[in-house]
Amino acid sequence: MSVVTHERRSAARTALLPLKTAGLLVLLLSAVVLGTGLGSVNVPPGEVLGALWRGLTGQTLAGNDVIVWQIRLPRVVMGVLVGASLSVCGGAFQGVFRNPLADPYLLGVASGSALGATIAIVAGWPRALIPVTALLLALGAVTCTLLLAREGRRFPPNRLILAGVVVGSVLSAATTALILRGEDRARQVLAYTLGDLGFSGWPDVLTVLPYAALGGGALLLLARALDTLQLGELTARSLGVPVERLRLITVVAASVATAGAVAYVGVIGFVGLIVPHVVRLLFGPGHRTLLPLSALLGGALLVYADLLARTTPLSQVGIVTTLLGGPFFLWLLRRESHG
Amino acid sequence: MNRTFLTAALTGFLTLGGASASTTYPLTLKDDLGRTVTVKAEPKRIVSMLPSTSETLCAIGACEKLVGVDAYSDYPQQVTKLPKMGGLYDPNIEAIIAQKPDLVLVSQYGKLEGPLTQAGLTVVAVNPETYDEVFSKTLTLGRVVNREAQARALVTRMKSDIARVEILTRNVVRKPTAYLEIDPTPYSVGPNSFMGVLLTKAGARNIIPASMGDFPKVDPEFIVKANPQLILGVDAKTAGARPGWNSIGALKTGRVVSIPDELNTMLGRPGPRLSLALRGLAKLIHPELFK
Repeated sequence: MSVVTHERRSAARTALLPLKTAGLLVLLLSAVVLGTGLGSVNVPPGEVLGALWRGLTGQTLAGNDVIVWQIRLPRVVMGVLVGASLSVCGGAFQGVFRNPLADPYLLGVASGSALGATIAIVAGWPRALIPVTALLLALGAVTCTLLLAREGRRFPPNRLILAGVVVGSVLSAATTALILRGEDRARQVLAYTLGDLGFSGWPDVLTVLPYAALGGGALLLLARALDTLQLGELTARSLGVPVERLRLITVVAASVATAGAVAYVGVIGFVGLIVPHVVRLLFGPGHRTLLPLSALLGGALLVYADLLARTTPLSQVGIVTTLLGGPFFLWLLRRESHG
Repeated sequence: MNRTFLTAALTGFLTLGGASASTTYPLTLKDDLGRTVTVKAEPKRIVSMLPSTSETLCAIGACEKLVGVDAYSDYPQQVTKLPKMGGLYDPNIEAIIAQKPDLVLVSQYGKLEGPLTQAGLTVVAVNPETYDEVFSKTLTLGRVVNREAQARALVTRMKSDIARVEILTRNVVRKPTAYLEIDPTPYSVGPNSFMGVLLTKAGARNIIPASMGDFPKVDPEFIVKANPQLILGVDAKTAGARPGWNSIGALKTGRVVSIPDELNTMLGRPGPRLSLALRGLAKLIHPELFK
């Protein structure tokens, strides 16, 4: 591809940005509408709207209202929150490590939360404690990674990635050992490590919301600094970007958002890795568009994936994202390289 | 498939004339992995790697033949004293070989037969999965360990015990619609599964249709829509905390029953305590019948 066409392409991308953003918004809205309207139980559209109205105004729920207002809508909102969190974190990690393979679970959040959940499940603690232990161990895992990767006051990217791999492996081994001890609960643990939005209610949504808002919000504020970092560490420093602090804040913010996302619904693969790439292919690489648009697309995709999971034998959202996400992404890449 | 198996087993008995049914060795049979196995002589040292198999062997008078069991075999009392050979996912193959068994009974899962056969051991996979198979596999085990008459007596006894419970539940006026949870993910049981058959025989109407399969993962909204009058396998507190579940009839009337541990073990074990499991389940669903 010559420089000229590349210039023209990115110009065209920028010009179309509002239109494409609107497109993504429509996609997210349609996901919410379809996700709330469709499911294993058929509820006519009029009844869905009525249920939402009665739920919002606090009237007594009748008939299918309970299904729409107390089961489907919180599940959809949880999908939006989790999909958006994972995608923003993935985009930020890919930017801060300048590594296209980075994903939200890079620093051991997933294996930490999986171990936390497994401890709670195998010990037979009440369901309400599962997200608590998952969250604590997810944050603990990232803390370990940071401590291992530290060189004085610096956090070199390669050391962070390596430390993340080590912490992740150790925790995964511990999880496996625990599963073997509590075989009869293995199915529950497996469900968690594959990601599942079942049983997400309003209280769960309200618990995850602050993590997603704080972590995701902080990352959105870092977008401009991340753009500068893409010019190289030296250049960024000379332009006044505090590279070390940026790295640390990104890692902490992303870990908070990811830990919240993982606590209730488990480890949903692929979304955080793929969505930022899709947005880059469609809208260009600037983080000020990449991060918010990744949130929109990630939220929409996860709701659609969960809708498929609920209505087909694929059964779990994590299975859908991985099964369908991979081939779709390869197709997109091919199309892009021939385009 | 199991029907043909059953008829084959039955014709086997008819030709034997039901007299002193002792097995003639070498015995060649097709096991549950589809392998053709020859048992050379009456087994004297058996390792059982499935709790239901351990129970069946003891129930047909072959308990003293056992020289090792898997980690989950816990009934009857005698087997708890036997050396443990690990579980389905982490079997201790060396320990099994060290027992010098002349027969190892395995499940069709877990891929144990490969290494054990290579070590020169006789391995038979026996894995009852459906209700009918519980009886047919009991007879198979009886034939393999030369306890055919006892196996037949056990099957007859189990069937009459089951019939006794069914007589009580069959004519009950109100059969509650029920949801039986076997795993909080949530997984339930279809009507054709072994546990589903017990649920129906115990006088409940399963909300899971056969089309969903034997052990389906259920969409929570489906359960709320089905609005069962009885929920089994969850405690009331957990059920009440689930989104939307307070609208289910069973929660309003307080008919949410967690299954006691021992009964849960029996329910999940397609072995000789099947009739006891059915009685226990019927007591939970229709306490009024057992006063």
